[in-house]
Amino acid sequence: MPLHDVGYRPWQGRRSGSLAAILVIASTGIKLAWTSRWLRRAVFFAWSPALVFAGSFFVFEQAIDEGRLGSIQDRARVGRNVDGVGILGRVIADSLGQSDAPPPGQHETPEEETDRTRRAVWSRLMLAFMRSPQAILLAIVVGLVAPALVSRDLRAKAWLIYFTRPVGKFEYVAGKLLILGLLVASITMLPALALWMMGVAVSPSIWVAVTTWDLPVRIIVASLALAIPTVFMALAYSSLTAESRIASFAWFATWAACWIAHASLTTADMMQQAHEDTLMSENAQTADSSNAADGGFTAEDASRRSRRSNARPMGPGGEIGENLSDLLEGRRPRNGPPLNVRQFRWLSRATGLDDTIDRWAWISPYHSLGVIQAWVFGIERRWQAIFPPLLSLGLVSIVSALVLWWRVDAPARV
Amino acid sequence: MSRSSTVEEPVLATGIVKRYGKRTVLDRVSLTVHPGITGLVGPNGAGKSTLVKAILGLVRLAEGGVRVFGLDPRREPHAVRQNIGVVPEDECSVPGLSGVEMVRYAAQLSGIPGIESLRRAHEVLDWCDAGQERYRPVETLSVGMKQKISFAAAIVHDPRMVILDEPTNGLDPIERRAMLGRLTTLARDHGKTILVSTHVLPDVQSICERVIVLAGGRVRLTGSIRELTQPAIPEERLEVIGPVDELVRRLIARGIPARRARPLDLFPSAAGADGRYSAAVETVTPGDGANEGVVLLQLTAPHALAAMWSEVHQLGIRVSSLKASCRPFEEVFLEALQAAQASPTESLHAAP
Repeated sequence: MPLHDVGYRPWQGRRSGSLAAILVIASTGIKLAWTSRWLRRAVFFAWSPALVFAGSFFVFEQAIDEGRLGSIQDRARVGRNVDGVGILGRVIADSLGQSDAPPPGQHETPEEETDRTRRAVWSRLMLAFMRSPQAILLAIVVGLVAPALVSRDLRAKAWLIYFTRPVGKFEYVAGKLLILGLLVASITMLPALALWMMGVAVSPSIWVAVTTWDLPVRIIVASLALAIPTVFMALAYSSLTAESRIASFAWFATWAACWIAHASLTTADMMQQAHEDTLMSENAQTADSSNAADGGFTAEDASRRSRRSNARPMGPGGEIGENLSDLLEGRRPRNGPPLNVRQFRWLSRATGLDDTIDRWAWISPYHSLGVIQAWVFGIERRWQAIFPPLLSLGLVSIVSALVLWWRVDAPARV
Repeated sequence: MSRSSTVEEPVLATGIVKRYGKRTVLDRVSLTVHPGITGLVGPNGAGKSTLVKAILGLVRLAEGGVRVFGLDPRREPHAVRQNIGVVPEDECSVPGLSGVEMVRYAAQLSGIPGIESLRRAHEVLDWCDAGQERYRPVETLSVGMKQKISFAAAIVHDPRMVILDEPTNGLDPIERRAMLGRLTTLARDHGKTILVSTHVLPDVQSICERVIVLAGGRVRLTGSIRELTQPAIPEERLEVIGPVDELVRRLIARGIPARRARPLDLFPSAAGADGRYSAAVETVTPGDGANEGVVLLQLTAPHALAAMWSEVHQLGIRVSSLKASCRPFEEVFLEALQAAQASPTESLHAAP
């Protein structure tokens, strides 16, 4: 008999409610997930891009502090990198080029211009941070944790532990969502908020926190936009099988397959567009020579030229649009370092600088999330660009939530 | 079935029907589980697990209703499950947790807060004699140890009712006896209602006060185990060492109906379907034949007990035990099943 055996005693304390059950499920789930060495590595690695972006914030604020903003804008106009921050300099430079100008006739003080420019640059940097490294890392981290969350319970019959206690489906699902939600927040929301705080800290005045007050809110909303569809989809996969390996495979296969499908369709579009451009160019040359011979220039010719010009993915970024056009037409870019088409397109899409509507974004979770995040950060405002990805992600979230809701207690019902 | 009634039956089921597709698993089942230990027995597929799920509010019933301590499990599942602890038949665990973490987790899910849940987990594990094994991951434990952990997790939140599905599975004889002892303690000393679903009928007979026999989705037999196992003619069972046959002869001479027990009386479960014994069993005589054996006698007549003791004394017989004779529950159970096969819609017995 154990030394301290006091026998069985009644317990009459005050019992905690459903919220406590959710927190217990979440904290135990995180504790168990954290035992994975790969997860610890992934989360640690997920913070490293923040250091690079922190450098960008520092350089930008330093330039403002030293009164070099005009110089940066000048450089942006000629499409040169901002010194010292490598590829992100292009983001800053083109953000300056793209920042909303005040309405005609409205006078803007230098402080107002600085605030406006800062908001534009910070928003783009945040979008670039959350989209390019963090969304990819999110897929990896969620893929490491989520597949086991429900499938392991199904395999070990742990559902018997939950549903024979005062734990309903709501508490169970909410607890599991919270596990993933906290992990997602730890690699997207927290580093982004830390970046914002660092930006405020290195800025010339603490009042920058007030003038950029909406950015933390946008960061939180963007993180939620990232988390909700991904977390529901990952848990739905997990609930469909008792083998977490199958759920893992399904998760990564979805991201990869959708990405490939998106890339294929986009490339097909680009090739078709290039082909049409070539045909138009040839027709235009024929028409020009004919007009030159006739000495006339018709309205139809002007319209055709205008369509040709609009068909190109030219953005208000000016140099970026020109560079992209150059690359698409197989010429060396006129501005900036040489990049191949794929790199350039990916970077410009990732940072929201390429403002052509990605009509296949809704196919791929990664690209859909990018469009929605651009919307949240106020960079994408065109409804025709936002609606398809929003609908796609909404449907994915709803269907995943229904599957999850239906599956989690399925073994208890038979 | 008013919720405000002062005396609430732990479980009151009225005409419950549960169907899976076209298959009726529970067919107009009405039963009451009283405080104390109740055995729920039946062949495989009888509907025991579905009944337990109905009590927990996990399944939607086609007809009828269940009240658990006056509460409807479908409407108030949390309140019902606060009052219930369940030991499932299947091994279940949260992979990665140790035994004590598992019990603590169960306590926290049941609403016991923070550090108190850890204290309570250790206390209950001590009572279940879990030892140092409690610090090992649950999936690495032996079947018997897992059963203890599962039992500790079921009672850690001090439920009013404990439902156990095959609680002695995987336990060695010593542990099995200890487990049955814990159940008796919970019922007797702590006023818990225990519902034991098992195929081990001697366990049912040894600890249960009442029994419910389910077969084919219907209640075939329900009532007190004492009443159900009582022989048609009340007899006492006297185990003695000494001249057994002489004692029987003298008791009969004094007008006390007595006979020496045969294998039929002691091992009815060894009988074949035709009620006959194999040759091996027929050769067994309780005791060593001449000087040891079991006498079945009726002590209903006045002074019969005094007359019996007088003869025992005169013959110098040593008495090992004297107790009321009862039929093995297994025999009662098999009769109930046979009756169920003969008449699928009738209940054999429905004692209150």
